[in-house]
Amino acid sequence: MNNKIMAVIRREFVTRVHTKTFVITTILLPVVLLILAVAPVLLMGHSDQTTRVAVVDASGSVLGQRVQQVLAAQKLDDGAHAKPRYKVDLVRANGSTDELRKKLIGETGFSSDSAKGKYDGVLVLDKGVLDDGKLTYYGSNVSSPKAMAVLQHNLSKAFAATRLTKAGIDVATVSQAMRPVDLSAKRVAEGKLTGQSGHGAFAVAYGMGFLLYLAIILFGQQTMVSVIEEKTSRVMEVLVSSLTPFQMLMGKVLGVGSAGLLQMAIWGVSAWLITSQAPHIATLFGVDPATLSAFALPSIGGFQIVVFLLYFTLGFLLFGALFAAVGSMCNSIQETQQYASVLTMLILVGFLSVFGVIANPSGTLGSVMSWIPFFSPFVMPVRWALTSVSMFNLAGSLVLLVIGMWACVWVAARIYHTGILMFGKKPSWRELWRWIRAS
Amino acid sequence: MATPSVRMEHVIKRFSGHTAVDDLSINVPSGGIFGLLGPNGAGKTTVIRLLMGILMPDEGKVELFGTGKHGRHLAERVGYLPEERGLYKKMKVLDHLVFLGQTKGLSRADGRSRSQAWLERLGVADWADKKIEDLSKGMQQKVQFAGAMLHEPELLILDEPFSGLDPVNAQVMKDTVVDLAGQGRTIIFSTHVMEQAERMCDRIVIMARGRKVVDGPLAEVKAEAGKRHIALDFAGSRESAKAVLADRSLVASVDDFGASAELELAPGADPGQLLSALVANGVKLSRFQVVEPSLQSIFISKVGAEAAHAARVEEVA
Repeated sequence: MNNKIMAVIRREFVTRVHTKTFVITTILLPVVLLILAVAPVLLMGHSDQTTRVAVVDASGSVLGQRVQQVLAAQKLDDGAHAKPRYKVDLVRANGSTDELRKKLIGETGFSSDSAKGKYDGVLVLDKGVLDDGKLTYYGSNVSSPKAMAVLQHNLSKAFAATRLTKAGIDVATVSQAMRPVDLSAKRVAEGKLTGQSGHGAFAVAYGMGFLLYLAIILFGQQTMVSVIEEKTSRVMEVLVSSLTPFQMLMGKVLGVGSAGLLQMAIWGVSAWLITSQAPHIATLFGVDPATLSAFALPSIGGFQIVVFLLYFTLGFLLFGALFAAVGSMCNSIQETQQYASVLTMLILVGFLSVFGVIANPSGTLGSVMSWIPFFSPFVMPVRWALTSVSMFNLAGSLVLLVIGMWACVWVAARIYHTGILMFGKKPSWRELWRWIRAS
Repeated sequence: MATPSVRMEHVIKRFSGHTAVDDLSINVPSGGIFGLLGPNGAGKTTVIRLLMGILMPDEGKVELFGTGKHGRHLAERVGYLPEERGLYKKMKVLDHLVFLGQTKGLSRADGRSRSQAWLERLGVADWADKKIEDLSKGMQQKVQFAGAMLHEPELLILDEPFSGLDPVNAQVMKDTVVDLAGQGRTIIFSTHVMEQAERMCDRIVIMARGRKVVDGPLAEVKAEAGKRHIALDFAGSRESAKAVLADRSLVASVDDFGASAELELAPGADPGQLLSALVANGVKLSRFQVVEPSLQSIFISKVGAEAAHAARVEEVA
C-alpha cells in the first residue's frame, strides 16, 4: 500500500522539479536576494562617507567649539580604522549670520569631486541658541532620517554639556555623566537563556509565520490545480481503478509538498550562505567588508526548529488535503474560488493573528488560537519563540492539531472519492455534505 | 468450470433522475473474450465502472474471481482501459508506463523492462523518450493499453478499445487481444461496432437502456435467432420487391443494403411463402438463401425499437 503512495509522491515530485518554472524560480530568488544584499552596500559605499559640515557660530560662547569637538569625535562605525563621521569647519560670525550663511550654502550640495563643493551641510548657531535650543541645518543629506537623528543626538549632547559647564559643573563630571549606556537584550525562556536577542526572536517569529503562510498558499494552490488537471485530462479514471482516494490524496499533497520544501530549503540555504558569507561576497564586489556589520540571520535554537517543523508539516498536510478536496470538486480554476476563498480566509486569520501574538505573546488571543487546529500552526511556533509556553499547552495543542489534521484528511478523502469522477457542475454546500456522509 | 471471472447479480445503479443499470445480472466465465454490446447510452460504461469499483451499485452484488470483492482491492489482477483515455501529457512515455506499473504494485525495475517489451510489441518503442503530448491520439491509446497490460492481469476490461484507431492500429490491437485470450486470460470489451464483436467474441451480452436483452455464447445467440433470416441479392430492379418486403405478415424486419438485403421472417411465415410471393411479383433474384443472422441484424432486431426510443428521450431532454 505504502509503495503506491511512494510512487505517487515520486511522480508528483519528479515531474514538478523537472519543469522550467521550478528551475527558474528556484534560481531567481537567491539571485534577487544576492542583489538585495549587495546593492545597498554598493550604494552605501558612497552615502556612508564623511559629512563635511560648516558650523556658523554666532552664539558668542564655547558652544561652537563644543559642537565641533563632539561631531569630530564621531566615527562611521565601530572599527579601529573607521573613518570619521564628520569633518567640521568652524566659522565665527559677529552679529548677523545671513551673509555668511548664504555664501556657505553656495558651496554646499555638489558632488564630492566637484571643485565648487566644499560642504555637505551648513549648521547655523544663532545668538541665544543655547537658551532656546532652536537651530537650523541646511544640507544635501537632510532626507536621510538616520543621518538627521544622529546629528540631532550629537548636537543635544554638545548642548547639554555646554549648558552644564555654564551652570558651573566640572567638565570631567559632565563627560562622565554624559557617557551613554549600551543596552543588549537577551531572551529568557523557562528559566534559561536562549542565546537570542530580542530583535532576533522577533525576526524568527515573523519569519516562521510568513514561511508557513507562503508555503500553504503557494503549494496548496498548486495541489488544487494539479487535481483539476488530472480530472480534465481524465487520467483520474485510470488512477481510481488502482489507487484508493486516500493514496491519491496523500501522494499528491506530500509530492507537491516535498517539491515545495526542496525549493524552500534551497532558498533557505542560499539566504544563509549569502548572509554568512557576506564579507567575502562584499570583497568580491570591491566593497569594504567592515561596512556591513549589522546584517545577519538570527540564530535559532534546536528545539525551536523541531517545534516549527512539527507545526509546519502538520499545518501543511491539513490545508494541503483541503485544497486537494476543493480541486476534486471542481472542473476549472474559476469554479474553485467559492470554496478556496474559505480556506484562504482561515489561512489569513491564522497568519494575521501572528502579528497580534508578536505584539502580546502571552495574551488571550495567542493562548486561544493555539488550541484551534486551523490556527495553531501559525500561532504556536511564534509563541514558542517569543514567550515561555508550558509543555502541557504544547502537547495539548499538538494532539488537537493531529486530530484536526486526520479529520481534514478523512473529510477530504471522502470528498475526493466522489468528486474526482464528477464532471458536471460543481456541488452545492448541501451536496458536499451528502458526499461526506455517504460514499 | 472454474469460478466465473465476473459475477453481477441484480445490480441497480441510479443517477440523479434515471436508472443507468436496471436489475442486471451477468456471468463472465474465466477465459475467452466477452463482448458487452449496446447502443450509445445503454449503460455499458456504467457496468464497466461498477466492475472496476469506481462506482458502487445501489442494489445488488458485484464480485470478481469469486472472491466476494471487486475493484481496486483486486487491482493487481485486473487491467483497465477506460473509455475516456487520459494520460499525464507532460510525462515521457516510458516514465509514465513505469508509474502505471507501480500503481499496480510492480517494482520500478520490473515495470521498466515490461514497459519496454510492450512498447516494442505495439510498435511504439521509438517514442519511449517522447512526451505523451507529442504522440498522436492512436499512439497515446496504444501506450495506455500497454499500461493496462503491464502487470499481466488475469482479467482485462477494455471500454471501446477500438474507437479512434485507424485500421492498421485496430488490427494490431485486435491481434493482441486475441493473443491474450489465447493465453487463458479473460477479456471483457464493450463496443457498439458489431462486426468486431462478431469476429472476436465467445460470449456476448447486449444491453439496451440499462437492461440485458441478449445473453449467451455467440454461437447459441445466433442459432436461437437462426433459420428465420434470408439473404437476398437482386438481379435487376428491386422496385417490384418493395411491396413484398413491406408486407408485415411475411417480413418482420429488413436490413437493406441496396443491391442486397438481409431480412427476418415474420412469425408464422416460412421461406417458401416469401419466395413464391417474390416470384409472383416478378422480382429477379441472383440469390435466395436461408442464413444465420449477422450479429448486426440480431442487434438491430433486439435493440432497434429500444434504441429509437432512447434517442427520442435524449432529444426531449
